[in-house]
Parts: sequence; C-alpha cells; structure tokens
Amino acid sequence: MLVNLPGPWNPWLGRLALSEIPYTNPILAPLFVVVVVLVLLMVAGITYYGKWGYLWKEWLTTVDHKKLGIMYIILGLVMLFRGFIDGLMMRTQQAMAVGPHASGMMGAVHGYLTPFHFGQIYSAHGMIMILLAATPLLVGIMNIVIPLQIGARDMAYPYLNALGLWITAAAVVLVMASLFVGDFAHNGWFGYAPIFELAYSPGVGVDYWIWTFQLVALGTTLGSINFIATIVKMRAPGMKWLRLPMFTWASLSANIIALTSFPCLQVAIGLVAADRYLGTHFFTAGFGGNLMLYTNLFWLWGHPEVYFVILPAFGMISEIIPTFSEKPLFGYVTMVLATFAIAGVSWLVWLHHFFTMGMGPYVSTEFSVATMLVGIPTGVKVFNWAFTMYRGRLTYTAAMYWALGALFLLLVGGLTGMMLSIPAINYMVHNSVFVVAHFHMMLLCIVYAIFGSVIYWFPKVFGYTLNEAWGKTMFWLFSAGTALVFIPMFMEGFMGMTRRLDWPFDPHWAPYLDIQMLGILAYVLSILAFVVMLYVSIRDRAQHRAAADAWGTSRSLEWLTASPVPFYNFAVVPQVNARDEAAWRREHGLSAQRASHYDAIHMPNNTGNAIIIGGLTFVLGFALTWRIWWLSLISLLAIIAMMISHSAKGDPGHVIPAEEMERMDREAERAMPRADLPRHSGGVLGGAIAYDSGAAGAGSRNLRGAPDHRP
Amino acid sequence: MSHGQDNPLAHPEVQMANNRSYVTGFIVASLLMAAATVLVSGHLLPPFALLLAITGCAGLAIIAQVYFLLHMDLSEHSIWNTVALIMFIPLFVITIGLTWWMFSQLYLRTMPMIPGMPGMH
Ligand code: HEM
Ligand SMILES: [Cu+2]
Repeated sequence: MLVNLPGPWNPWLGRLALSEIPYTNPILAPLFVVVVVLVLLMVAGITYYGKWGYLWKEWLTTVDHKKLGIMYIILGLVMLFRGFIDGLMMRTQQAMAVGPHASGMMGAVHGYLTPFHFGQIYSAHGMIMILLAATPLLVGIMNIVIPLQIGARDMAYPYLNALGLWITAAAVVLVMASLFVGDFAHNGWFGYAPIFELAYSPGVGVDYWIWTFQLVALGTTLGSINFIATIVKMRAPGMKWLRLPMFTWASLSANIIALTSFPCLQVAIGLVAADRYLGTHFFTAGFGGNLMLYTNLFWLWGHPEVYFVILPAFGMISEIIPTFSEKPLFGYVTMVLATFAIAGVSWLVWLHHFFTMGMGPYVSTEFSVATMLVGIPTGVKVFNWAFTMYRGRLTYTAAMYWALGALFLLLVGGLTGMMLSIPAINYMVHNSVFVVAHFHMMLLCIVYAIFGSVIYWFPKVFGYTLNEAWGKTMFWLFSAGTALVFIPMFMEGFMGMTRRLDWPFDPHWAPYLDIQMLGILAYVLSILAFVVMLYVSIRDRAQHRAAADAWGTSRSLEWLTASPVPFYNFAVVPQVNARDEAAWRREHGLSAQRASHYDAIHMPNNTGNAIIIGGLTFVLGFALTWRIWWLSLISLLAIIAMMISHSAKGDPGHVIPAEEMERMDREAERAMPRADLPRHSGGVLGGAIAYDSGAAGAGSRNLRGAPDHRP
Repeated sequence: MSHGQDNPLAHPEVQMANNRSYVTGFIVASLLMAAATVLVSGHLLPPFALLLAITGCAGLAIIAQVYFLLHMDLSEHSIWNTVALIMFIPLFVITIGLTWWMFSQLYLRTMPMIPGMPGMH
C-alpha cells in the first residue's frame, strides 16, 4: 500500500472488523435495534400485502420524472429528519454542558456527548442538510415541475434521471451506514486541511465523508445536465424563452451553476482522497502541500452551491406569490435578469468564506465588494415580489404563509450576510455562531420555500389538496422554532460564542441555550403537525379532490393538465400562446378547451439498470471507505459493464395508440370534480374569480376554481 | 418522447467520430500526463521551471482533448460544444486568475521567499 495505514488491515475485509460496530455505545446500539426492527417491519409488511411486484414495477424501476421526483422528495424529507435529530442532539448537549460546573454522563466530562462524538454529529448535520436534504428536495421538485411547466412528456434523458436518483440514494445509505459501521468525519461539513489527512484522522470517518460527497456530487451533476437539456430542447410549441415560467428560469440558472461548480468539488475532494489513499501531498503542511489550497478549492464550489440551492427557492416563491395575489409576476424580465446576475456573481465571491486567511486588503476588498453586489439583484427580486402583491387580491393559504415566511428569512439572512461581507466585521464574527445563524436564515428560507411548494404542487401530483389548517399550524410552530433558536443564536454570536463547541464554557450563555431548547421543542411539535397534516389530508382526500387548476388562480402551464397528472403529462402537447398560459386561457374562456384530435405517443420503458448501478456505487463507496480493494475493483468494473451494456441496448420505448390516449384523457377528466359556477371573464388584475378566504375555504374553493365549459 | 424515432447513427457527433482521432487524443493526453508525472516525481527541473512545465503540459492536454476528443470547431453541429468552451473561458479566468492573485498576495504576507521561485508575486 502507498500509505502507512494505522491499525489492522486484511485483504478480504480491508479495515472492517467486528469491533468497528459500536454495539457498546449507549446511543447508537439502541438506535440500531430500532432501525433493524423498523426495516424488518417494513419488509414483512410489504411481503404480507404482496407489494414487492408493485414496488419494483411502479417505483424502483421507473423512469417517470414525477415518480422519481416523489422519491427524491421522500429521500430529502427523511434526511431532513435525520439532520434535525443531529441538531436536536447538539442543542441538548450545549444546553446541558454549559459552564464550568456542568456535570457529565455516559463517558462525557460535560453533558452527554464526548467531543469525538459531538464532532461527528456537527459534521454529519451540515453535510446532510445541505447535500442530502435540501438538494434532493429541490431536485425532486424541479423534477416534477419543470417538464410540466414547459409542456414536455418527460425529461430529456429519463434513464439518466433515474440514475441520478439512485446514486444520490447510494450517498444517503453510505452516510447512514457510517452511524452503525465505523464512524463519521469530525472535521466539519466542509473539512479542514490538514486535520482530514490520514496522519491526523486515522479512522474511516473522513473516508465516509469523501465518498458520500463524491456520490452526491456525481448524482447532482448528472441531474443538472438533464435539466439543462430538457429546458433547452423539450419546450412545447410556442414556449418561447420569454414565456418560460419563472421557476423554470430559476432552475435553469441553478443547474448551470451546478454543472460548472460541482466538478470543482469533485476535484477538491478527489485530491483529499489522493492524499489519504495514494500518499500525495496536496494539502499537507510539508512536502510542497498547501493547506489553504483546499479551502480555496472547496469554497470555489461552496459559494456557487449556496446559490444553486437558493435560486430554485426564489423560483418557487415567484410561482406561489402571483398565484395567490391573482396578478402576473411583477417585472418578469428583470426577474430573469436578476436570476442570471446572481448566478454570475456567485462565481466571484467565494473568498468571503475565508477573509481571515490573511491575503491582505486588495483581495479582500474585491471579494467584499463582489459579495455586496449580490444584494442588488436580490433586492430587485424582493421588490418584484412586493410589487406583485401590491394591490393584488391576496389569499392567505398555507402555501402563501410559507412563501411570505421565506421572504422574511431572506431579509434577515441577506442583511446579516451583508454585515459578514465587510472584512472588518467578518474578522470579529468569523467562525462564531453569528455565521451559523446567518446561513441558517438562508437555508431555512429554502426550507420554507420547499414546504410552500410541497403544499402548492401537491394537488397537481396527487389530485387532492393538503389540509390548510394543519399546514398553517405547522407553519406557526416551525416559525416559533426558527425564532426561538436563531434569535438567541445571533445574540450569542455577538457575545463571542464560537461555533462547534462541545462544551460552551461561559455560564452567561446558559439562558440563551435554554431558550433555544424551547425552539427545538417547537420544531418537534411542528414535525408532529406535519405528520398530522399528511394523515388528515389522506383521510379526507375525497372531499378535497382538486381540479386541473387546483387553486383556481394558477398561472403556468402545469395547471392545464389533469390532477393528478397522468403518466404522459399532457394527452396532447399544448400550444403555448402567452407567458402565463393557464391564466391566459382562463381569461379567454379557453380553460376547458379539449383537444379534438389525439396522436399516438412514444414513452420510455422502465429499467432496473439504474437502481442496480446505484446499488453498485454504494458498494464501491463502502469498499473504498474500508479499503477492500477487490470489492472496489469488482463493483467499479460491474458499473462500467452495466453502463456500456445499457447504452448498447438502447431503449426502444413503447407507443400508446391514439384511441388509448383519448380514452385515458377522458377518464382523467371525468375523475376530476366538476364545477357548477358560471364562467367569469375579467382582466389580468383579478376579478375573474371571486372566492371566500380563510382556512376552511380552501377545499370548497377548488371546486369553483375550474369553470366547466364542456357542452 | 422523440428519441428512438430518429436514427442515432445519423447524429453529427457519431458522424464525426473516428477511431484514429480518439486514439490519438488519448495517447497524446496520456503522454503529456506521464511527462508531467516524471518531471515532478524525478525533480528534473528547478521548482519554478517545474511549475511552468506542468502548466504547459496541462494546457497542451486541454487543446489536444478539445480537438481530438470533442471535435470542437465552428461548424453548425459543434455549436453547443463551442458555446460551452466560450462559457468556460470567463470561468477559467475567474477561478484560476483570482486564485492566483489571492495566493500571490497571501504568500507576499505569509511565506518566506522560496529559493528558485521568482515571480510568485
Ligand atoms: C443565498 C443564500 C445564501 C446561503 C445559502 C448562504 C450560506 C452561507 C454559508 C453556508 C456560510 C457559512 C460558511 C461556513 O460554514 O463558515 C455563509 C457564510 C457567509 N455568507 Fe452566506 N449565504 C447566502 C447568502 C449570502 C448573502 C446574500 C451574503 C452577502 C450579501 C452572504 C455572505 C456571507 C458571508 C460573508 C459569509 C462568511 C462568513 C464567515 O465565515 O465569516 N451570504 N453563507
Ligand atoms: Cu458564500
């Protein structure tokens, strides 16, 4: 071997040994038992109800962009929960351990987590939340919505889409495996040189971190290629560039960022892997290595990445606000320009993550000014949203609550970001919890937008609306959590509390940490409200059946097709006549116009290859982590062989005849609720549809939202 | 879905492909990489010359790959590749250029002069 591996290694199992399973750990061992029992219950349940065939045929082998999107979202929600549990553990530790006299338990001197364990938790928390929760949630929503908004039947590369999902899932499984086999990195989510070098982190934790990063970066890059190709090539006739819905524009810019920046990450992490596996010296302190080069390379991706996650969230807000203001988006063209300006500038600012490195005033000034420049296009967006609402007919639905909450967080996060972008201030608060509070405001802005769009697009995908009252309850609980956790955190930042403390030594911080525990409680309640919301909505789904235009005031193309969306999306690809096609048709009394002529359509076939390759990438990551060379080699070769064989085979797809299309379309039409109100006609600024407001009104509103013009 | 209906062999990328250029591209790129590795591992040049030499190798490898593997030119069917190349130039200038500037400023303030490395700042 090229490096000096501390500890035992054997050719068959690599570094794997029974002692690597933490069965004596008082937290992990019971958790492991719970997980095993849950998995067994699930397997038993699926077998009992005979659902394996259904699962395999309808979900695991699917190439349908909507089902892949749903699975992305489920994956993201599960990881959001896992990340939240990490957060809860860190909050509890800090609240318990504060001050010099805090007692300790379970092997810790203060609190209940040892520093080594605490380090793993914060590293996993950050990585999971950004890459395995927020990113899959956004990619999932983009997956569902983009083809619908541009009038396509599927993504440009349906198989690649499935591959992206299963590689991301492999990354998720790998990071979860680190809980129960070996341990995870303790170097923070972004890593520091040289602590992640083999000499200082001899365990497998950093290796888990490396390969999880590589897998999710690969999956996301593949996805971004697919989204760009889909938007460029697959638009319905008449969908000119300046008629693209705002969310699609935002996704396009975000995916251009992803495509250009994720390779940077792969190179940076790949070089760390070279150091740890091949004995190179890219980031060591000696032998010509350069510690800061790593930080530089990482943030070269890291900052564009934060815009990769925020831009789709901006897009979501840009869809929700016009719908519930009954007005077109204000300043559409400036919105597009602002989106691309943000994307462009996002490449010029990465250095604000390490102003304190000491590269002097000239460099710092450039990056400081560039960082502040981002505020201009962001400001344009905020004003556009405000003017969209100005004199609109606002309906405060749950989705609108979340969108408005996101705006508020964007304001707080953006202004604190402006403070951080001034080097003089940055020197004071860098690596303090002030920074942590800043980026949580931004990331929570994304989470708010995601919850808003889950509620907003749910009826399109599943055919019924979610319960409004519980959606709002969840919003208020979640917002209480956000306020109670992060306002005290900003204050602690000013009091000089640094980030990542397993032992907050200053007793003055105690009350703030206690208030944060209350916030965590509110978050826990909001999760319960979410579960109740799902339960109540599924129970009452018959009463809340949605029409094609589920909200009655929707604007873009996706609201023209049936709810739930049939697998072929549009029975006949619509001709696009205006920027907000659904609104345009409604105003011209064309909403109920049906195609007079159906054509046969061609759809891709399902394939099991994607999930198998995904599984193999997990095996590859696991084998590399534990340095089981034979297994790494075999799985790599198997992946390559499967790729080649799949490409050689190609996919003939299948054709659905025109009569069948007509029949299915009629059926989907019939399944939707009929409206019994007379048709209105009116201007763009609302007035077309009048309805009562309030939580309870949402269900009945849907029925009136889709005037029926069939003879 | 329109794929499957048109013949993939008719795509311009496939039409332009030929084994000779792929093999040449691969060999040229591998040779350049090997040359850089040998230069570095054998310490065959003084540090600064080494830096220039491997940068040169990398530049040549990029040109070889763009030409032999991607068939980049201004013809109509390569236009998307060329657009990608043009978008790459500002990114290249930003990422490499600003990194270089930043490190030169940093070294000016933090590093003792490295013998044999004039022009780092
Ligand atoms: C758009 C969404 C944004 C996200 C998701 C985001 C996220 C982040 C993250 C993750 C960090 C912390 C890096 C670390 O771990 O130390 C950070 C730091 C920073 N952010 Fe943001 N940010 C966003 C917007 C902004 C804006 C609009 C500004 C300024 C105008 C800004 C300025 C900064 C600065 C200067 C830092 C460095 C603080 C330090 O480490 O000392 N950010 N941001
Ligand atoms: Cu940044």
